[in-house]
Amino acid sequence: MDEQRVVKVHLENISKSFASRKMIFEAVNHVTIDVYKNEFLVLLGPGQCGKTVLLNMVSGLETPTEGKVEFIDSDATDLGFVFQKTAVFPWKTVMENVEMPLELKGVPKAERRERAQYLIDLVGLNGFENSLPKQLSGGMKQRVGIARAYCNNPQVLLMDEPFGALDAQTRYQMEEEILRIWEQEKRTVIFVTNNIEEAVYLADRIIVLSACPATVKEVYDIALPRPRDYVDTEFLRIREAIEANTDLAL
Amino acid sequence: MSDNSKQISTETANSIQIEAKAKRREARQLLLISTVSVLVFLCLWELAVRAGWIDSKYLCAPTMVVETFLQKLTDPKPDGAVLGVHIITSLRLVLVGYLTAVIIGVPLGLIMGYYHTFDKLVSPIFEIVRPIPPIAWIPLSIIWLGVGTTAKAFIIFLAAFVPCVINSYTGVKLTPVVYLNVAKTSGASNWEVFWTVSRNYAMPLAFTGIQVALGNAWSTLVASELLAATAGLGYMIQQGRSLVRPDVIIVGMLTIGVIGAILTTLLSKLENHVVKWRSRA
Amino acid sequence: MKKNQIKTRDMLLSALSILGLIAVWFLVSNSKPDFFPTPMATIERLIRLIEKPVMKISILGHVLASLKRVVLALIAAIILGVGIGLFMGWNKKVRAAINPILMALRPIPPIAWIPLIILLFGIGEFPKVLLVFIGAFFPIVMNTMSGVALVEDMYLKVGKIYKANTAQMLRHVVFPAAMPAILAGIKIAISSGWMVVVAAEMLSSKSGLGFLINRGRDSYDVALIMVAMILIGVVGALLSAVFTLIERKLCGWMSKE
Repeated sequence: MDEQRVVKVHLENISKSFASRKMIFEAVNHVTIDVYKNEFLVLLGPGQCGKTVLLNMVSGLETPTEGKVEFIDSDATDLGFVFQKTAVFPWKTVMENVEMPLELKGVPKAERRERAQYLIDLVGLNGFENSLPKQLSGGMKQRVGIARAYCNNPQVLLMDEPFGALDAQTRYQMEEEILRIWEQEKRTVIFVTNNIEEAVYLADRIIVLSACPATVKEVYDIALPRPRDYVDTEFLRIREAIEANTDLAL
Repeated sequence: MSDNSKQISTETANSIQIEAKAKRREARQLLLISTVSVLVFLCLWELAVRAGWIDSKYLCAPTMVVETFLQKLTDPKPDGAVLGVHIITSLRLVLVGYLTAVIIGVPLGLIMGYYHTFDKLVSPIFEIVRPIPPIAWIPLSIIWLGVGTTAKAFIIFLAAFVPCVINSYTGVKLTPVVYLNVAKTSGASNWEVFWTVSRNYAMPLAFTGIQVALGNAWSTLVASELLAATAGLGYMIQQGRSLVRPDVIIVGMLTIGVIGAILTTLLSKLENHVVKWRSRA
Repeated sequence: MKKNQIKTRDMLLSALSILGLIAVWFLVSNSKPDFFPTPMATIERLIRLIEKPVMKISILGHVLASLKRVVLALIAAIILGVGIGLFMGWNKKVRAAINPILMALRPIPPIAWIPLIILLFGIGEFPKVLLVFIGAFFPIVMNTMSGVALVEDMYLKVGKIYKANTAQMLRHVVFPAAMPAILAGIKIAISSGWMVVVAAEMLSSKSGLGFLINRGRDSYDVALIMVAMILIGVVGALLSAVFTLIERKLCGWMSKE
């Protein structure tokens, strides 16, 4: 892995503060990160810290107060985003949700349907194309979210605690699923979570962020072979090392 | 890096200031737009009447409205009473009908929601009467109760009664079973469960009903005064029409609007006081 | 088994309640039938009304006259109310320009407009439709505005991430998300409009259900008043039932909570 670390996204000394009446709230403070091509990068940090804000700046939803985000060999339009809660539109069917990014780009119907169908099959929702989100479980909704994020064939995928709202059982299942999908369709993934176990299970690399304001605290390369085992001794060792090394109040 | 975390750099400070300034500028801009829009509206109105685009017999200019308003404070002409008397007549009437409706309607709705048998016994009658707008009751109640205060109070009562009952009823029906079970397992009697859990839980929704009822009562009052009255704001605008005095009508309409708004505001103040536990989402 | 028992019992109770209502009606009306017609007299009056038109308009004609006014006004109120509300919710400047005027007019009950509208436009068909329009417009515009302004931020973010332009944003995200609020506004507008049309017809009209009530009052035909009231109730209930069906069609995606 090490020999071909090509930088895909470069965060240069990024800060973000919000001003309200006489109060200045610092969410992110001087963060510099290189994200490598096709790596699964996990940003791990405590609950209320600025990691979502950091992700929003990568996506262009928010502009940094200081510093800049650079995309190498692509640009910010080349993104897929999986949201915290299911941001699947309840008024659209599974198919309509998945094809939406392409529809907005004006891709002809036949073409975008084909792409969406491929992704629906990939995330295992075959047969639910015409279902409405209210007929789906939480895990299935998040599968729709993942398929939608893949739809316009982005080079970079951003995931903001996508499994945070799921029950433990579904969460494990989805963690397995996301790796399977990612192995099949390799992309650069930036995955935000506050769950150490999830981070160790998924990541090629973990960047631990401090509490507010978010700064880079520690970087861990996770070289464990996949599929990983939650109770494997090496897995537990890494997990404990991160736990000991951070003051995450999780 | 730890140095930086304690101190905000000048660059950050600058961009924060710019952001805050932009926000303030936007707020000022919006206020300006609102002011200009209202002024333009009033000027156009004034101009339309002055230039004769609209016959001043049928619509008067805003300046005239102000004049008539000031005059109506002390002058009973042309509709028989000063503004204050109209207001008090209307208010008294609306309060009688409205308060009766709240006092009877809310408990009735709460009990209907909680006691199944009672619910099944009363609901059908309710469902039959409900779709008839209170205004349609006016002629019948005049025949039954005469043209006096009683008939009008009765119609206002009807208008306010329905939302009071329905919302209190729904509020009780929506009480989560968990809460009921908590109370039951801690040994509360049926009545105690109703009083401590359901009644409290239903309060916010009941208050919404009380709010709706106020709006209904106020507009029904106007209707009943339009049809049969010798004083009151509805009577005032009706007289304005017969005397072809648009200024009197508009003063009356605006007074109706303002008093309605004041009553609504007072009620929501009271609501915030009574229903403290509800989080403002 | 037990559920079934409860169901039969509930049905019995409901039947008992309606029978009770009719019985009370009978008892009270028997003493003064002129003052308060019996159920039989009311039904007879209805039959007579079907056979013999009032003002040369059949009973169906009166119902349709009221309905036509309401429907015309509702269509206008929906087009204008949803349009203006959409812009007000979406654009702060538009809201700042229109909101103060709306806020000043909104507390005036639609019925209080009757004298002014009659003075301005006489007693033809247009002023009545206009009055119903006033009654229907405000709930629609207010609900649309707040529905649009309260669209979940997350949905807007999805649109932004995928670079939706304004038209796409409105069509794909804002409009459907605000749909439940808009429909709730229309629902209020329907019952408000139905009330206003009755009031307007009572004050000045030669057709419609409100007119029938007034005719009954003028000729001291109490049974006619009651027939008209019942019809008003039935048609009003039908209107809201039809709309509930439409609502379910348009907002079937909403999860029940």
